[in-house]
Amino acid sequence: MQQDSGRILAELRLRSPVHGLARRHLGPLDVFAQSVSGAAPAAAMSATPVIVAATAGPATTWSFLVATVLALLIGTCIGRFTRRMAAAGSLYSLTAKGLGPGWAFGCGVALLVGYGALAMAALAGAAIYLDTLIVRAGLGAPGSRPVLVTAVCALAILAVTLALVGVRLSARVVLLVEAISISLMVLIFAVLLGSEGSSGVPPADAVPGPGLGGIAAGVLPALAAFIGFEAATALGVEARRPFQTIPRAVQWTAGISGLLYLFAAYTQVVGFADVPGGLAGQTEPVPQLAAAHGRLWLSVLLDLGIAMSFFACALATGSALVRVLFSMARDGIAPAAFGATHRRYRTPHVAIAVALPIAAGVPALLLALGMPAGRVLSELLTVATVGYLVAYLLVCLAAPLFLRRIGELTTPPVVVTAVIVPILLVVLIAFVVSSLGRPLPIVAGLLVVVGAVWLVWLRLRRPDRLAGIGAYDETVAADVFDERQVGIR
Amino acid sequence: MTSLDPAPLSGRQPRAVRSALAVLEEVVASGSGVTAKEISAALKLPQATTYRLLNLLVAEEYLVRLPDLRGFALGRRAARLSPAVAPALSTAARTVVDHLRGMVRWGVHLASFSAGQVTLIDPDPDHPPSDGHVLARYPQVTALGKLLLAEQPDWRALVRDLRRFTEFTVTSGAELSAQLDGIAEAGLARQCGELRADRGCLAVPVRGPGTGMLVAGLALCGPAHRVAESNEELIGLMRDHAERLAPLLA
Repeated sequence: MQQDSGRILAELRLRSPVHGLARRHLGPLDVFAQSVSGAAPAAAMSATPVIVAATAGPATTWSFLVATVLALLIGTCIGRFTRRMAAAGSLYSLTAKGLGPGWAFGCGVALLVGYGALAMAALAGAAIYLDTLIVRAGLGAPGSRPVLVTAVCALAILAVTLALVGVRLSARVVLLVEAISISLMVLIFAVLLGSEGSSGVPPADAVPGPGLGGIAAGVLPALAAFIGFEAATALGVEARRPFQTIPRAVQWTAGISGLLYLFAAYTQVVGFADVPGGLAGQTEPVPQLAAAHGRLWLSVLLDLGIAMSFFACALATGSALVRVLFSMARDGIAPAAFGATHRRYRTPHVAIAVALPIAAGVPALLLALGMPAGRVLSELLTVATVGYLVAYLLVCLAAPLFLRRIGELTTPPVVVTAVIVPILLVVLIAFVVSSLGRPLPIVAGLLVVVGAVWLVWLRLRRPDRLAGIGAYDETVAADVFDERQVGIR
Repeated sequence: MTSLDPAPLSGRQPRAVRSALAVLEEVVASGSGVTAKEISAALKLPQATTYRLLNLLVAEEYLVRLPDLRGFALGRRAARLSPAVAPALSTAARTVVDHLRGMVRWGVHLASFSAGQVTLIDPDPDHPPSDGHVLARYPQVTALGKLLLAEQPDWRALVRDLRRFTEFTVTSGAELSAQLDGIAEAGLARQCGELRADRGCLAVPVRGPGTGMLVAGLALCGPAHRVAESNEELIGLMRDHAERLAPLLA
């Protein structure tokens, strides 16, 4: 055994495979902010309850409760990995340690689609709400194309600069922006709830319940409000105490976002309880509530809060996106240049300079072509959701297999996976089926083809690289206590 | 760094502490590469408990997971559990240090950085250095300590508190980070009056030949205002001697 250990230590690498990033650099709050912004609860608080209410009606809060439990279960599966390994490639690098390289590759492509589309959607969303603010200030007509396109480009330039100059700076900006936007949202909903207190009727009594089917159908959009909550997973290398902060950041984000959604959903359900059709009959419930109570200033704060939340989301999702690309490059399955890091800023600058402009270019182009802004946002969000759902499904499936591989399998992980995987599968299928007739199936089909071609090319040209994917911040010689280093003779 | 729970030990916690220490001991006894299952079997601890303790010890950096993710080994932080013993110095190395002492009028000290601590292995007998405990506890205020910190992925792992000793002491984390980046780049640490207002030190690294690993540091200590000067000749002399020490120490 002792001889073995000498050999094992001698075989350790001198340098981590993901060297070049600002290793062990970020405190717990910075990491936490990354996940919270990825989920962008401030934006979802106002937008999602009405979508859920379309099927769940007055039981909207129940759908959110179920979705919160699901998100916590997904978080548990992710935690099985993040407590044991620190990676930059988010769920892609994790899946590689549980399922084979082919599945991990699929997870990687799904994540690129998810992160990419969410970053695009968030940039578009931020631009839309900035535009609304500009209109409120009386400086233009609503939905003006040049304003929207300019806003997307300006925000993208800001995001590229922040992401490039350093992970800590961008994490701090994300933290600040998200803290402000969530505070604004909590304030707004508290004011709305408070002013309804006199006339508010408990919703469940007013309208007959939608039944279990309605609640289940409502879980679909409610779960979509959580996507991005795992974003901290991409900061494994850069977090100061990754094994502690990353799993916590992910779980806390799921829990806190869940609470915020429940609060927002309850406020809106109660607010429209005595209106015929309830919350489900509304198109823009929160601004309407605000206007109904004669509080226009609330609407302005609301727009500001949502715009900020979207921007933080774009930044957080963008940095997760480039770190997945970076990891794929270090694994040798994406262009090697993406694996380069800036010497001074210690960020993957090439991946940032390529991926983020593309993430801004797509929504800017769609807007410039005259697609209605709201539609750009919703279609991109749909594409993102499918990417995320596939990645969540794979990582949850991989968790018990990973534990078995390293010989640390116990019963709870198997049970969690057995529960969550079928549910996610149903959610995924239902989601795709519900969007038949929209561009999503075509876009998704196209992306699957691109992914398949890429995979076949890798199998033919770089089978060894493909087999070895899953580089993470592994233990290097300097991390180990080696008695041979102690004795200076 | 680590915020400890102020609540007193209660209930099952003493047993958990005992088990955690037993797990640490078991990793030492079995050698690097021992797996979670083996530890659980050897200690007759429930598997789930063992895995939780292992993850905790890894999070605290007392243990590390090996690249296969199955095996465990002692982490660098475990080195801090045993007091650093000043290793014996070879005659050849001592001669090199004495040679430098004969050429300059400042105090010349040699320190080892093994186990992530500053340990003086050849302090200048004619110019006694600061108390060894201060060197080990507050590496950020000494030139030798700064060398060690500049080599770390995160200096916070080795710094307990940024205590102020004099008006020149660096007490902001950001400022220290910037200073350490500069030291890493230049391969030279300079400290003027940060520990005692009238004293200062210069220090250069001694690196293992081939590996480039930081093994020791050579320091010159003198009046603070003299240390602040450019001292190019002195630094050149120090680098020469550090180079000659390298094969004798690594």
